[in-house]
Amino acid sequence: MTMLGYKNCVLRVDLTMKSAVPEPLRMDWAEKYIGSKGLAIKYLYEELAPGTDALGPENKLLFTNGPFTGTPVPCSGKLSVAAKSPATGTILDCSIGGHAGLQIKYAGYDALIFEGKLNEPGYVLIEDDKIQFKDASELWGQGSHVVEGILAKKYGHGYSILSIGPAGENLVTMACINSDYYRQAGRGGIGAVMGSKNLKAIVVKGTGSVEVPNIIEATNRIIEILQADTLQEDNTFVFDCGTTAFLEACNDGGILPVNNFQDATDERWTEYNGDVLLQGKKGKRGCGSCGLGCGNFLQIGDAVCEGPEYESIAVAGPNAGVRDPEAILKYNQVADDMGLDTISSGDVIIWAMEMTEKGIHDFGIRFGDHVKMLEYLQLMAKREGIGADLALGVRACAAKYGGEDFAMHVKGLEFPQYEPRGSWGMSLAYAVSDRGACHMRAYAPNVEVFAAEMPPYTAEGKGQMVYDLGEFNAVKFSLCICDFWATLNYETMAELMTIVTGREWTVAEMGEVGRRVINIARAFNQREGFNRKDDTIPKRLVNDALKSGAAAGQKIPQEAFEDMLNQYYEVLGWDENGMMPESLICQL
Amino acid sequence: MQITISLRGTLTKYLNGDKERVLQVPEHCTCDEALKTIGMDYREIKRFGFVAVNGKRVMIHDRLSEGDQLKAYSSISGG
Repeated sequence: MTMLGYKNCVLRVDLTMKSAVPEPLRMDWAEKYIGSKGLAIKYLYEELAPGTDALGPENKLLFTNGPFTGTPVPCSGKLSVAAKSPATGTILDCSIGGHAGLQIKYAGYDALIFEGKLNEPGYVLIEDDKIQFKDASELWGQGSHVVEGILAKKYGHGYSILSIGPAGENLVTMACINSDYYRQAGRGGIGAVMGSKNLKAIVVKGTGSVEVPNIIEATNRIIEILQADTLQEDNTFVFDCGTTAFLEACNDGGILPVNNFQDATDERWTEYNGDVLLQGKKGKRGCGSCGLGCGNFLQIGDAVCEGPEYESIAVAGPNAGVRDPEAILKYNQVADDMGLDTISSGDVIIWAMEMTEKGIHDFGIRFGDHVKMLEYLQLMAKREGIGADLALGVRACAAKYGGEDFAMHVKGLEFPQYEPRGSWGMSLAYAVSDRGACHMRAYAPNVEVFAAEMPPYTAEGKGQMVYDLGEFNAVKFSLCICDFWATLNYETMAELMTIVTGREWTVAEMGEVGRRVINIARAFNQREGFNRKDDTIPKRLVNDALKSGAAAGQKIPQEAFEDMLNQYYEVLGWDENGMMPESLICQL
Repeated sequence: MQITISLRGTLTKYLNGDKERVLQVPEHCTCDEALKTIGMDYREIKRFGFVAVNGKRVMIHDRLSEGDQLKAYSSISGG
């Protein structure tokens, strides 16, 4: 069985043996999970033994695109990267922009699966069906920006590069994978998995194409959808200002975290708002097949970076007590080059700031010290000095030094920059996310804060709300479509799948895929021992009321949180312990 | 009473591209009623977002006071 849109081919790379063998894509799995996120999780669920060491050679590193990748379908240029997470022990899938997804598809592959471990640091060069294993001894120890520059110069135009920085080499469990210099598969230590395989980089170029049933009809209809839907003003705001637009809304919404989530509104937000940051705009960038082009290339003083995005601004700005735009941009630049997730590395530093200020343990850094933040990033990436502890993440640091009540994480993954006391549904979304605290699984503020009539400070209806948001995103990310196509709906998804694959897809099937993806991710985690005891939130959210802003006085009563959790489990048919019954598991 | 209406995102077209305008509205009217004075009915805007008063998110039917700054956002998506 085959479907158009796919290459019907997976490249399985054995790094230990330095061999690469193409094999047919499991199309029966693609029928159920489509591609990208869902398909990667299915492969990992089937191929990883329970208890696999996430940093051992037996873990597998998957790069999966989707049926739309390489076609003109708008916003389809991303790539999923998946493995078992060394930060949480859960399933982990990340999404990275740029052009690597397209090149992998053009090279002839729906997925790359890396197994084993190189004996020495190396990189893999993929040129269609020609696979070469290259020495990376001169690249090892270099920052991602340097590595990408060297490899780009060596191979020239048309090659995409995925690489890790020193953090990935040193198995820091908040290490990311970089591509196109400033795009990251950021969370859960995916870069450490790559580092554990001695794999410094992947260089890929393809010369193939993607076959669809009727290229003229498909192209015409896709252009119609692009013009009538994607390029409408509800989506194109990201071209002008990227995610910097979120700052003012989050501040007004009472969900902009300040000083390690001690408050959620900042009266000085105008000092680093998008209007200020974008004065340094030097150029625009976008991913392959993107009509929106959200990337802003900025230079402020000595700092140069594409972005910064909302998450990086918030964690290196108000949540660190910093309001200097150049310092925020520099933080982003250094973290990217070191190969560190800006969110998790920032969260552990701001936790250390609070620890120091409260006199619990002196980490030598206080809120506002943006110079030392840069120093600590480099120490963390190299696991040197104080960075050796901080690189363990906020959960492990709190277990060692105290401050667990304000160690902001779920399952060991540090908090994104949306304060849940101002968006109660977000606390549930963080708690039940398949990879720990993540805002990309169910973006609750969109429905309960950035909305005219929905009350944010109640448990009522939040289980269904978080499920609905999660189901939709699970489908969207299994199609490998970017989050910024905000007006996308199931009808358009089903129509595009029909146009590209040649098989009729229905709206109902889209929803079924979403539920299936949520369930198989949960089944993976359940098999690793996760259940209700792990679907928790930090005590700060329950014990400490916010002090100012729209959500002043708000905290989340434990019983309200448990109520939301019960609702969510019930929607999914899981038991009160959050366990999926065998009757559901056998359908996966 | 006098208030200031500020618009964000795609809503600025209701003020002919301006982001802000000072105007007179009925005493203690709701946010919804104030927005209607500039021809904006949130129910009819598919991707209407939320309203904030003096920098704090409120419900659309909350009431305004003299001198308030009412801010209306279009929908925000992504992360």
